[in-house]
Amino acid sequence: MSIMQVIDLHQRHGSRETLKGVSFSLEQGEVFGIIGPTGSGKTTLLRLLDQIEVPSSGRVYFEGRDVTGSPRLRSELRRKVGMVLQKPVVFDASVYDNVAFPLRLRRYSRKVVHGKVDTMLNAVGLDGYQRRNARTLSGGETQKVALARALITNPQALLLDEPTANLDPVSLKTIEEFILRFSRENGTTIVIATHEMAQGQRLADRIGVIMEGQLVQIGKPSEIFYAPSDIRVARFVGVENILEGRVTSNREGLVHLDVHGRAVEAIANRHPGDELHLFIRPEDVVLSLSEASTSARNSFSGQIAGLAMSGPLARVHLDCGFPLVALITRQSAEDLGLQVGKQAHVSFKATAVHVIGQ
Amino acid sequence: MTELWDGLVQALHLIVTFDDEVVDIAWRSLRVSAASTVLAALICIPLGGLISFRSFRGKRLLINVIQTFYSVPTVCVGLFVFLMLSRAGPLGGLGLLFTPSAMVVGQALLITPIMLGLTISALSSVDKNIRDTTLSLGASERQAIWAIIKEARFAISAAIVLGFGRAISEVGVAMMVGGNIRGFTQILTTAIADEANQGNVELALALGVILLAIALVVTLGVNLVQQRR
Amino acid sequence: MTRKPLYCLVTVLVLAALVIGAIGCSSETSGGVLKPEGRLRVATTTSLYDTGLWGYLEPKFEKQYDVELDVLSGGTGLALEWGRRGDVDVLTVHSKADELKFIADGYAAERVWFACNYFLIVGPEDDPAGIKGMSPEEAFKTLYDGGEGKFVSRGDNSGTHSKEKAIWKAAGYADYAALTEAGIAAGWYLEAGRGMGDTLVMARELGAYTLTDIGTFLAFQSDLQLVPIVESGSILLNVYSVLVCAKSTKQEMANNLVTFLTSPEVQDLIADYGVADYGQSPFTSCAGQDEPTS
Repeated sequence: MSIMQVIDLHQRHGSRETLKGVSFSLEQGEVFGIIGPTGSGKTTLLRLLDQIEVPSSGRVYFEGRDVTGSPRLRSELRRKVGMVLQKPVVFDASVYDNVAFPLRLRRYSRKVVHGKVDTMLNAVGLDGYQRRNARTLSGGETQKVALARALITNPQALLLDEPTANLDPVSLKTIEEFILRFSRENGTTIVIATHEMAQGQRLADRIGVIMEGQLVQIGKPSEIFYAPSDIRVARFVGVENILEGRVTSNREGLVHLDVHGRAVEAIANRHPGDELHLFIRPEDVVLSLSEASTSARNSFSGQIAGLAMSGPLARVHLDCGFPLVALITRQSAEDLGLQVGKQAHVSFKATAVHVIGQ
Repeated sequence: MTELWDGLVQALHLIVTFDDEVVDIAWRSLRVSAASTVLAALICIPLGGLISFRSFRGKRLLINVIQTFYSVPTVCVGLFVFLMLSRAGPLGGLGLLFTPSAMVVGQALLITPIMLGLTISALSSVDKNIRDTTLSLGASERQAIWAIIKEARFAISAAIVLGFGRAISEVGVAMMVGGNIRGFTQILTTAIADEANQGNVELALALGVILLAIALVVTLGVNLVQQRR
Repeated sequence: MTRKPLYCLVTVLVLAALVIGAIGCSSETSGGVLKPEGRLRVATTTSLYDTGLWGYLEPKFEKQYDVELDVLSGGTGLALEWGRRGDVDVLTVHSKADELKFIADGYAAERVWFACNYFLIVGPEDDPAGIKGMSPEEAFKTLYDGGEGKFVSRGDNSGTHSKEKAIWKAAGYADYAALTEAGIAAGWYLEAGRGMGDTLVMARELGAYTLTDIGTFLAFQSDLQLVPIVESGSILLNVYSVLVCAKSTKQEMANNLVTFLTSPEVQDLIADYGVADYGQSPFTSCAGQDEPTS
């Protein structure tokens, strides 16, 4: 069931158009990720979803009713939808008073407030912090207070703007787990805006990619990551191998492409002569020293042009008639004794190649 | 110089002996100015909240006008209130002229611009995210304004104390609408002017010293509040 | 953090003081809001106030008639304006011409004189203009023509100021506005725009002459290095009268005040007032007699 829909949202801030015709709908209970580079309009979109801002044009529907233009419905929406800002601010008051704030706005009795706040603080791991001034907390603790404050009213939807930016990995993990658990237990719809595509992949059931104010792709994480709809999305979600090619033949969905004079096979229904972009994720590229027998359709040999270590992984740049990046473990890179200038073989399956029209 | 010295000696004498009339005048000063400060604060805090919260055409202009009235001469306010409250004026029927109530109204009007202006600037210096946060947590406009006021409470109390300082030290309004009636509307500042007129320079100086002592306490209060930040 | 409670305490104390002040005040102000008829207001010329005469008579009247008397001190001009607007009930002033106009305009029924004294021209002891012993009119002429000696005028439309204008007129200078303009331009004529006490202090500081009522002069004499220069001349007569304002809603109590001021007992008090302090009383009682003319 759809809880919220936005139709053709536009937003202007001065002469800058921060959102250009965004439309999508949110399903009850899903975790929806909004990913995009910094400054692409994620924050504006969340603010419009929570009706803190009024769109310059377009409509926001909540529970089937158009709330834009109705102060009463807008405030009703804000009461049912929680939001945690990108840089959460806490009131200059105790942790207890901060978390109790939304309940007091709704005129709950002192006793009910007490019970709910204590339970919530316990759930986010801030038991014992009740009387601390919230302004004296660390970044992670502040984030937890803001989260607890937004969730204390058990909202139907929770909007999170970069909830884990500037957090250490341990706090990040705690908060991500808490959000997921809360959503499962209460059926809360979560919208999470993040510039970090891996977080979107970890948490979201569906992802919308926003680029320069436009929602360019929406789908399951696997679709976004393996079948980006254009070059900008591909680059953003970490597709490092973006090649250009021309279809030479098509046999029942298996196409042959000419890429810089080399033949590459891919699964697609395209006509000979079509100019295409090919996306190949670097982790889908298999690297070996000898031309091993493989079921992969595409097999090339080339020279190692560069080698970069990144944590437990190694990024290998090859020149095999066209540039190609392979991502392998650091261990295998050492086992293979890879060095710049050495020859190596690469292979990737036809299904690992995603093509779109140029 | 001997006059100054005699004045100081007499001031100390009047203070330590708790001279009835002086205590009466000082206490009345304190009460009138406190009442006008409370009245002005009751107007300025909600109004300042509304002006700073909402965006509307002419907001900048309005704030400029308010700031211009920071330096309105006390006698102008006094004359205005006199004309309003005089029997021949529009509010003459209330019979307020030459009563402490009239002084309270006049002083409140006098300090309203400075208190309002400082309240607005105190509220504008609150993190804009506080506003968005309160709204996103389901606050109505009124609840959001109140939350912002609470965030700015220290700067606002400084504004209130400053308004009190201006009220207790002014003479124009109190003289024109209070009439300096002995035992009824005579306060420290009008008594100083009056005693000086009658040639009682020492007593005038003594009352001045008492006024300064009150001002000192007020200033200390302002500093304490502001140092907290 | 550890010091925070202190500041909270201060804030709470300040607010508490303000609230208590407000409550304490409201009980007092109720006299003005709820029972305005409980108080009688008299506006007086400064000389009757600054000499302390009203401070002396006020409690006696309050006791005799069981009423709160509010004495407002201002120049005769201001007192008359208050009377015209209906803001006061009774006037005690000293400017015959203005009073007659006030009556003619219907703001009062009659003027009742209750005290009189004389104006003086006072100045520095060395008398730079050499006007000692002259008649007031001659003295003013000399000041105008001689070029020696400065003159400080009240310049505030008070009774004393009216008297000064009357003397200039009698001395042959009918156009007072032109006179002051020329005098100010020439630098010998100054307008104080203040009460009598301030004007006397100003005259002392500038070594100038001024016209003063004897009452205020006696009260200030010890602090002034000014001496009487001209003190005789029928034009210097100063008559204080009491007027009940037509707009007053307390006619009865206002008439009580007139009765009080003209009663033989109070007339005696006025005649004796200040003898102990100044060696002579600044006022002569004159109620019930013909209006003094010299």
